[in-house]
Amino acid sequence: MTAATAVQSTFAMPSPDGDPRRGSDERTLVVSAQQGSSEAFAALVRLHQRRAYAVCRAIVLTHEDAEDAVQEGFLHAFRALDRFLPDQPFGAWLYRIMANASLDLVRRRKVRDADELSESSPAPFRDPGEADELRRRLSEALTRLTDRQRSVIVLHDVEGFTHGEIGSMLGIPEGTARSDLHHARAALRRLLKDVRSDI
Amino acid sequence: MTKLTWHNDGGDDEVARNLRAMYAAPVGEQYWNDLEARILARIAEVDLGWWAELDRWARPALLAAAVLVLAAGVAMFRARQVETRTAYENILTPSPVPVETVIRPTLEGDREASLRDVVGHKDRSNGRP
Repeated sequence: MTAATAVQSTFAMPSPDGDPRRGSDERTLVVSAQQGSSEAFAALVRLHQRRAYAVCRAIVLTHEDAEDAVQEGFLHAFRALDRFLPDQPFGAWLYRIMANASLDLVRRRKVRDADELSESSPAPFRDPGEADELRRRLSEALTRLTDRQRSVIVLHDVEGFTHGEIGSMLGIPEGTARSDLHHARAALRRLLKDVRSDI
Repeated sequence: MTKLTWHNDGGDDEVARNLRAMYAAPVGEQYWNDLEARILARIAEVDLGWWAELDRWARPALLAAAVLVLAAGVAMFRARQVETRTAYENILTPSPVPVETVIRPTLEGDREASLRDVVGHKDRSNGRP
C-alpha cells in the first residue's frame, strides 16, 4: 500500500471534484500537515497535483518545465505551510504558489536562453504531438504572445479558471486578466488569420 | 474552413479545442503516482538537510531568546526599583538611634585617649627633677 493510499483510507478522501465534504476533509488534511503529518501532505499533493500541473503548464512552455515547476511549487508550499491559515481556500493559495514557481522558472529560462542563444534566433515552441497545420500554427502563434497573455488565455480557455482566479494566481487585478485575455485572443486571431485560406 | 473566433467566453471553437489538446495533462494513474513520488522525494531530500533542521528551530529559538531578554529586562527594572526605594527609605526614615550617640563612643574613646596621653605627658614632665 502506498503512502497516498494509506492516507486516502485514513482520511476517507472524497473524489477531487464536486464532493461537498471535500472542503472540510481538505481542512483536516491541511491542519494535520501543519502538525507535521507527511501522510497528510502526501494526500494534499495527490489531491491537487493535476490542477497544479495545469496551472504550471499554462505558464511555462514545455511539459518538462511544468513538471519542474510543480515540484518546486509543492516544495515552497511545504515550507510555507505553517504560515497558511486553514480557514482560507487551500487551492487558491497553492495555485498562486504554483504560478509564482512557474513564472520564476520562465524568467530563469529566459536568462539562460539569452546566454546560450544570444547569436541565434529563438526557436519557436513546437508541440511534439501536433497533428495538423492549425495546431502547428497555433503553437507558433502562442510564442508570439507575451508570457502573461499566453498564461491567461490557457488558464481561462483551457483550464476554465475565472478572471478573478487568474488575477489572484498571477498577482494582477481581475480587470487586467480580462484585458489580457481580450488582447491574447485578438493577437491569436490576427496571427492565425491566414490559416483560414491555407486549410 | 476553420473558424477562429471565440463565440462565447472561451466557447467551443476550433482554436480552443486545439489549445485544449496541446495543453492536455498526461493521462494514466501511473504518471500521477510517479509525479507524486517525485514531489515527495524532492521534499524529503530538502527537508532532511541540516539547514531545514536549523530553520525548524529558528523560530522557537528566537522566541526563547525574546522571552529571556524580556525576563532579564523585567528583573533589572525591578532590582533598580527596589534599590531606589531602599535608598529613599534610608534617607526619609529617621534612624532609631541618634547619629551623635553612634559617633560619640568613637569620639569619646579618641578624646579620652588624647587626654590620657596629654595628662600622662604633663605628669611625666612635672615629676621631672
